[in-house]
Amino acid sequence: MAILELHNMTKRFGGLTAVDGLNLSVERGQIYGIIGPNGAGKTTAFNCITGIHPPEEGEVIWQGAGDANPRKITGLPPYKVASLGIVRTFQTIRLFSEMSVAENVMSGRHFRGKQRWWHGISHTPFSRKDEAANWEKVQETLDFFNILELSKEPVGSLAYGFQRKVEMARALVSEPELLILDEPAAGLNDSETLELVETIYSIRKKGVTILLIEHNMDLVMTLTDYITVINFGKQISEGLPDRIQSDPMVIEAYLGSEDDNDE
Amino acid sequence: MKQYNKQIGFSLFILAIVLFPLLANSKWLAVGSTFLIFSVVGLSEDIILGKGGMFNMGHALFFGMGAYTAAVFNNTFGLPILYSIPFAILLPALFGILLAGPIIHLRGDYLLVSTIGLNIVFIQMLENNLFGVTGGPNGIFGLDVPSLFGFELSSATAIYYMGVAVLLLTFYIMANLDRSKPGRALQYLRLDDLAAQSIGINTRGYKIFAFALGAGIAGLAGVLFAVQYSAVSPEAFNFMQSVLFFSIVLVGGSSIPGILMGTFVMFVLPEIFRDFATWRYFIFGFAMILAMVLRPEGIFPAKFGKIPNWILKKE
Repeated sequence: MAILELHNMTKRFGGLTAVDGLNLSVERGQIYGIIGPNGAGKTTAFNCITGIHPPEEGEVIWQGAGDANPRKITGLPPYKVASLGIVRTFQTIRLFSEMSVAENVMSGRHFRGKQRWWHGISHTPFSRKDEAANWEKVQETLDFFNILELSKEPVGSLAYGFQRKVEMARALVSEPELLILDEPAAGLNDSETLELVETIYSIRKKGVTILLIEHNMDLVMTLTDYITVINFGKQISEGLPDRIQSDPMVIEAYLGSEDDNDE
Repeated sequence: MKQYNKQIGFSLFILAIVLFPLLANSKWLAVGSTFLIFSVVGLSEDIILGKGGMFNMGHALFFGMGAYTAAVFNNTFGLPILYSIPFAILLPALFGILLAGPIIHLRGDYLLVSTIGLNIVFIQMLENNLFGVTGGPNGIFGLDVPSLFGFELSSATAIYYMGVAVLLLTFYIMANLDRSKPGRALQYLRLDDLAAQSIGINTRGYKIFAFALGAGIAGLAGVLFAVQYSAVSPEAFNFMQSVLFFSIVLVGGSSIPGILMGTFVMFVLPEIFRDFATWRYFIFGFAMILAMVLRPEGIFPAKFGKIPNWILKKE
C-alpha cells in the first residue's frame, strides 16, 4: 500500500504553473527520488505536500501506519502535516541558529512530547518524566549522527556539513514515517556525501520511508529505488533508476542539457 | 562554574531584595516596590517580546486591566482586594487571547502598530468612564487596604514584601518556561517561524499562549500597583508606559538579569538622579541609545544551551 499519493496536484503562482498535474505514489519503505532541472517545480511540490503552499487542484493522500484507510491531507497547515509523521528538511538549511545543537534537535520532539501549555507555567512529575524521555531521544539521535559531543555548540557556528546533519537529526528525532529531504547533499564534499548515503540507508532500516530531491545524479541513481522526473512542473518520466538513465526524454530534458545548466 | 556563579548571583539578589527594607527609608521603599512591580511587568513582556519575538507595544493595557479589575471589584462590588487577584489574572489573560487572536499573524511593525492602537482604545475607554465603573480621567481612589487572615497589610513594608513574593513567583514561571515544551516552542518560532511549523509546532497557538501568559502575569502586577497607591488612573497605563516596558526588554535583554537591569535603568536610575531635575532624562535618553549601539541584543542577552548535562555522557 502506498504511504503517500499525489493525484493531479497543481500549484500556480499567478500566471506560472509551478506544479502541473503531478501524480506519484510512494510505497512504504521506499527511497523515492524526484529529479528535474532547476526550476522544474520540485521544491514547490514538497511545499504542497507539507502544507507550506497548499495546491490549487488535486489531492495529497496519506496513509500512516495507524490509518485504516487512506486520507486526504491536502491543504492541512504545516504543523498538522508534520504531526502526522511527514517531516522535512530544507534546501537552504533552516536551523534555529542561535540555539545549541541539542536544543535544535529537541524541537523535533515537540509534537511527540506530551506536555500541555500549563506545563510551561509549572512542571508536574508527569511532565518532568516526559521532558527527560524526550531529551533521552535527542541524545540517542545525536549519537546516531555522531554529533553528541557538539550538543552544546551554537548551531550557527558549525561547519556546513554538520549543520546538514543537525537538520536531519531534528527531522529524524521526531520518529517520522515519511522523511522528505530537499537536496540533502547540496554543499557536501565527497566524503560527507558518502556518509550521507550510509546515513540514509540506516534511516530506511529504521522503517522510515524517504522522499528526496537531489541534483547529484550519481547519488540519486545509487540511492533511490524509484524515480520521478519532472520538468516545467510536469512529470515527464518515472521508473527504476536504470530505466530513467536510458530514457531519451530524461536525457533530453536533464542529463543531455548539462551545458545549459552550467551556472 | 558558570552555573555556580549564576546561583551565587541569584542568591545575592534575593538576599538584597529581602534585606532592602531594613536599610531604606519610606521614599526608597516605595521606589523598591515600584522596581519589584515593574520587574514583574518587564518579565511578562519578555515572554511576549523577548521569547516569542512579538512586537507588543501595548503591554500597559494588560497591566492596567489587572489594576482596574482589582480596583473596580473593590470599589463597585466591595470585594476585598486580595480576593480579586484571580480575576485580575484571568481577565487580562482572556483579553490577551481575544485581542491577540485577530492580529497575531501580523509581523513585526504591523503588530506593533496594532498593539499601540489597542492601548489607545483601552485608555479612551477608561477615560470615558466605561460602564460607569472606571471613574473617568481621574480613575478610582480610596481602595481598601488588603488584609490577610485578619492582618491589615497596609504598611509600605508589607506591600514591598508582596512585591517580593510575586517577583519570586514570576522567576519560578520564567525558569520553568525555559525548560519546558511551551517555552522552547516560543524560542523556536521566534528564530524561524516556518522551520518551527514544519517540525510540528502550532505557532499561532503558542503565540496566543505567550500573550495570555504575559497578560496574566502583568495583570497580577497590576493588583500590586493598585494596592501600592490605593488608587488607579488611566495615565499610569498609557502608551508611554508600554514604550517603557518594551524598552526594558530591549535594553536589558531577554533574560532575568537583563530584565532586572532594564527595570533598574528605566525606573530606578531616574529616581537616583532626581536631583538633576530634567537633565536626568537627557542622560537617560543617551544611555538608552548607547546601550542599543553597544549591545544590540540587550545588556544581558538570552543565553542558549539550556540542556541537561547528562545527555553529553554516552551510556
